[in-house]
Amino acid sequence: MLPVERIIGEEGLTSGAGGLRLAMRLPWYRSLPFSTVEVGGVTIDGEPVDLSDAQVEHDGKSWPLAEQGEQVDTFWFVRDSAFLLLPGRAAAPGSEHVVSLTINVSPPYIPGMTRSNVQVETLQVA
Amino acid sequence: MVTTTAPQIGVTLYSFTNEWLSRQFDFPDLMREVARRGLGPNIEIIGFQNFKEFPDVSDDFAARFKDIVAETGLNPVSCAINSDRFLRPGQQPIDDASLVEYHKRQLRSAKKMGFSLVRYQFALPVHLLPEVAPYAEELDIRMGVEVHAPMWAGHPAVQAYAEMYDKLDTPVLGWIPDFGGTASRIPESMLDAARRAGAAESLLDRLKLVWLEPGMSHEKAGRLREWALAQGHAPAHIQAASLAFFILSNNDPLSWAQLVDRTIHIHGKFYGVDENLVEEAIDYAAILPLFRDGGFTGTIVSEWEGHAYDTRDAFEQVSRHQAMCRQILAS
Repeated sequence: MLPVERIIGEEGLTSGAGGLRLAMRLPWYRSLPFSTVEVGGVTIDGEPVDLSDAQVEHDGKSWPLAEQGEQVDTFWFVRDSAFLLLPGRAAAPGSEHVVSLTINVSPPYIPGMTRSNVQVETLQVA
Repeated sequence: MVTTTAPQIGVTLYSFTNEWLSRQFDFPDLMREVARRGLGPNIEIIGFQNFKEFPDVSDDFAARFKDIVAETGLNPVSCAINSDRFLRPGQQPIDDASLVEYHKRQLRSAKKMGFSLVRYQFALPVHLLPEVAPYAEELDIRMGVEVHAPMWAGHPAVQAYAEMYDKLDTPVLGWIPDFGGTASRIPESMLDAARRAGAAESLLDRLKLVWLEPGMSHEKAGRLREWALAQGHAPAHIQAASLAFFILSNNDPLSWAQLVDRTIHIHGKFYGVDENLVEEAIDYAAILPLFRDGGFTGTIVSEWEGHAYDTRDAFEQVSRHQAMCRQILAS
């Protein structure tokens, strides 16, 4: 896997009071507005996760995933992870889970292009 | 101000995309590594790759950048800015006034950090140049539009820009040739990456033929795809083989002569320079003398794009590329 293909972030999967938190990396060579990045889906241990109440966190800000398309002036710094927060879900610290993440990128200077990226990893909950 | 009489050598930090994305270096350490290896002093930085506060850089951020520049002795020549028009996928692009303002924000940031020019893109519609150019004049920063594959000197978009350049007649606007538009062949390292992804030799043979045919890049990609699907090649293999259509074109290397006069900066695009200082795909021995003999005194930044398919040592590649350029320029 090339570095630019990585979408599950180095910080992995954590469980806390707010729910599960999954680190995501932007699969592009430069920072992009969040409005051009779509979380295409998450499965945990083969089960699709309902993302209707998911939140996205980046650099001290957060917003509902459902409103990601409105984030035209909030930029995902390409070297940093963003985090997908899944409220109401929990996992035991140290337990292992197979996580699949899909991220679709539509670079804002290339009309009509969308690139879909999928990564599957076994993550140990921290 | 130092007056130069020959092309200068430098590097774009884009060459180190793999090292950057995999967090091998933070920004100050990447700058220090470039300086330590003697790959500067002239550098280009993509604002949206290395600057967290882009497109609106604060005074404090700019001051910290200038501290690193002073410490390393690097010279921030070019800041690459972007024409992001399609902020809502599937919807209409942003309006002209918003796009002009988006450019002004980036120009202000580049100036504040001490860059002497910006790289901009043809995605900025040519009719907006009369609105953007006066702002660059006011800031005293030059703007070079990147002539990148599939574009080249003879492309209609380049010609439309040239007519507007003539009309505006301002020293702040110029060209930034990217040699990927005049590649002589597909780099073998790119073909090897497709082989590693599983592409069959018959598919790559066909790719090499179709890539040389006349026509638009996306049409050629479509032609290869149609043929390959009919032959039973897997979509993933076709995708791996098709990268060449999107980053490289085979226009005449000597065609750059038409743009030398207004060239303010150069992207020395390359894919792999071997131990004998020969680049795999782009014929530098034919191209560089055009600029040397044409009086170009700006910077050629080494731009290794092999990272799009390969994880070779980018620092070594840049070092060889710079040695190759120096050798050709001195010949």
